[in-house]
Amino acid sequence: MMVGFRPLFAVTVRQDARNIAPWIVLITALSASSILAYSWVFPDPASRAALSVAVGANPAFSLLFGQARDLSTAEGFNAWRTLALGGFFAALMAIFTVVRNSRADEDSGQAELVASGVVGRHARLAVAVAVASLACLVLGVVSAAVTVLFGGSIADSAALSATYTASGLVFAGVAAVTAQLGSYARTATAMAVSVLGVGYLARAYSDTIDPDGPAIWFSPLGWTAQVRPAAGNNWWPLLGCLGLTVVLLAVANVLLARRDFGMGLVPPSPGPDRGGAVASVWGLALRLHRGSMIGWTLVFVLLGVVFGYLSTTLGGVFARNADFAAVLGARGGSAADLTFAFLLTLLTVLGIIAAVYGVQIGMRFYAEELEYRAEPLLAAALARPKLFASHAVIALLGPAAALLLGGAVIGVTSAAAGGSAGAADLVVQALAEIPAVWVLIGLSLALIGAHPVARPAAWLGVVAAFVLTILGPMFRLWDWILGISPFWHVPNITTTNPDYLGLLWLSLLAAALITTGFAGYRRRDVI
Amino acid sequence: MELVVRIEGLVKSFGSFAALRGLDLRVGRGEVHGFLGPNGAGKSTTIRVLLGLLRADAGRVELLAGDPWRDVVGLHRRLAYVPGDVSLWPGLTGGEAIDLLGRLRGGVDERRRARLLERFELDPTKRGRTYSKGNRQKVAIVAALASDVELLILDEPTSGLDPLMEAVFQDEIAAVKAAGRTVLLSSHILSEVEALADRISIIRDGRVVQTGTLEQMRLHTRTTVTAALTDDPAGLDRLPGVHDVRVDGHRLVCSVDTEHIGAVMVELGRRGITAITVSPASLEDLFLRQYDNEPTAGARP
Repeated sequence: MMVGFRPLFAVTVRQDARNIAPWIVLITALSASSILAYSWVFPDPASRAALSVAVGANPAFSLLFGQARDLSTAEGFNAWRTLALGGFFAALMAIFTVVRNSRADEDSGQAELVASGVVGRHARLAVAVAVASLACLVLGVVSAAVTVLFGGSIADSAALSATYTASGLVFAGVAAVTAQLGSYARTATAMAVSVLGVGYLARAYSDTIDPDGPAIWFSPLGWTAQVRPAAGNNWWPLLGCLGLTVVLLAVANVLLARRDFGMGLVPPSPGPDRGGAVASVWGLALRLHRGSMIGWTLVFVLLGVVFGYLSTTLGGVFARNADFAAVLGARGGSAADLTFAFLLTLLTVLGIIAAVYGVQIGMRFYAEELEYRAEPLLAAALARPKLFASHAVIALLGPAAALLLGGAVIGVTSAAAGGSAGAADLVVQALAEIPAVWVLIGLSLALIGAHPVARPAAWLGVVAAFVLTILGPMFRLWDWILGISPFWHVPNITTTNPDYLGLLWLSLLAAALITTGFAGYRRRDVI
Repeated sequence: MELVVRIEGLVKSFGSFAALRGLDLRVGRGEVHGFLGPNGAGKSTTIRVLLGLLRADAGRVELLAGDPWRDVVGLHRRLAYVPGDVSLWPGLTGGEAIDLLGRLRGGVDERRRARLLERFELDPTKRGRTYSKGNRQKVAIVAALASDVELLILDEPTSGLDPLMEAVFQDEIAAVKAAGRTVLLSSHILSEVEALADRISIIRDGRVVQTGTLEQMRLHTRTTVTAALTDDPAGLDRLPGVHDVRVDGHRLVCSVDTEHIGAVMVELGRRGITAITVSPASLEDLFLRQYDNEPTAGARP
């Protein structure tokens, strides 16, 4: 069954290292940078206390990152800031690695060569899982070592890094299962990432509504949170992660034995013999992106419902939290203001997720070209700008519509549960985010159109916007650095005199980027 | 002759690799032009420049009297293309792909579409990912042949087709030719080119090294003559243009420069012919000769 494992493993590790390395660097940098920055940004007890108050007063933070258990030490700060995020990225790394080395090779036909060799049926999946597991282990060791090097305590840093490894392992198991279910690599990835999203959301919900309540045990990402690095270092929940991984891998191997090579468990069905609506550029683009458009729209509805519902429970959260009173005392705001601040942060998060959606559509457009499917279209009577436009329009309008829908759902859910935030305000605020979202998507279109080799920089743009917008203010960065993120220029529309000039600049920048994409795509060689 | 394709001194490099180094190519209206060369000689690159997918670094390229880089839409309405390795949309059926490509080109001839599907025995309801290599190829061939265009650009169109389908394909191309349409047929299947092409260009290392009709190319080659004579064949090797003479009793095998074949025939007739075979150089001979004379790395086994 496992014949051929070792040579295949060696080749895969060598080939895949370059895909895995950036994730390890990213997560390690997250962890090491918070240790490094902490003593510099929060040098004295007063500034640390202020940080605790600021974090405590906006439940969006515990929703996004988990509970802040102790922000008075660098390790505690690091555990709060990076545990959920690092675990999320580690899970993505594991999912992509498993699918890339099992399912995706079947789609490209490369695996057929391997499978025809002296290789056991289970060896290829085992190699993919083994490479992902190795990546998770290396991630844990590297991140712990570098964090310690930058001044973290050994026990706390090790516990924190172990949670990354554990999240990665669990989702390597999830991906091994979805790789057997989906008919394509893309479906398998989408399914695994959805599970990850639901897991993250379940953890976020529990952390906001009922910290450390029973709901936290619903999600494996909640288990890693219960390790509580730097606040107890409770190692045993990690055993649960290992156990779940073993179960998932067993399920994957059972499913593997029951499906045909290159197919999912659901066999492909015959389709129409005539073109119909799909036989036009626009119809084709819609068809190609239909799956992701539906999936993303569901994501925004789900997030809208959860965020909207959470916004109505904040009264209880504020009542429990002493920091809330402190903020009210210092700033003289009202509970409604704080609730809107919470929703503003979450809308910005939705905006960043919308940018991910748009960038992904753009990347898919380029993937079509890489698979030689732009060639036959452009060899027909089709102008390049039209082909580019058919995908660019979806990349821009899809996320914008989803974002507006998300804002509306937050408003409606909140109103239905008796919340104070106005649905109209939320939709207008979501509308105001759109130019910022389009700047990030425009960047990806510019890169794909003009210089596709550099297209990973589009993801860098999204990550930078997230880090600067959500975490930047906490680090008290200078305005000119925070201003790099387009979301920094989005006004809060509920203030008495919102400054709309920023939106004008964002719109101009987005238009310039999109134009660059069009102009570049007209001029460059097509694969 | 009205030219459909006129390429002069075309240069295209990818980074430091020069794919085309001053290529010249002329295709006249109504002809089937064979474009021959081994893997990596620059056939596909030339075609992709003609399709406006790649931008020429230098040289003049004219397609249907237009500029393939600038007049993309207008030109592409008048041509159809079959790539050598067809990549289909995995979720789209073959029928959907044919209609998509046909409609983008400006419409599909319904009767022809139905006839071609039947002739090529293609099931249009299967999804792209479930087709075999040959069937993917058929999807592109049907899409190209179903539209009414002046020029067909075919880049190794029959790779993966079985011999029966290959015959159907040759038949269809012959019909296209009879209808007066132009075909640029890139291939390394020599029998296919020999059967279909009016004129041939042989490409090597990014340049066209020889071009002309098969007959013109044969002028510079030798014809193999095998004859049984009543008289003694001795002394024939002293005739101009006769080489590699082998005599076995009254049997003679020799190769003759094509320009001297007439004189040799007269001399053979004088000695009494009882049996004779005259084989002109095949395209394969021509092709191998072209690549054998100046061997380059990788060109020979």
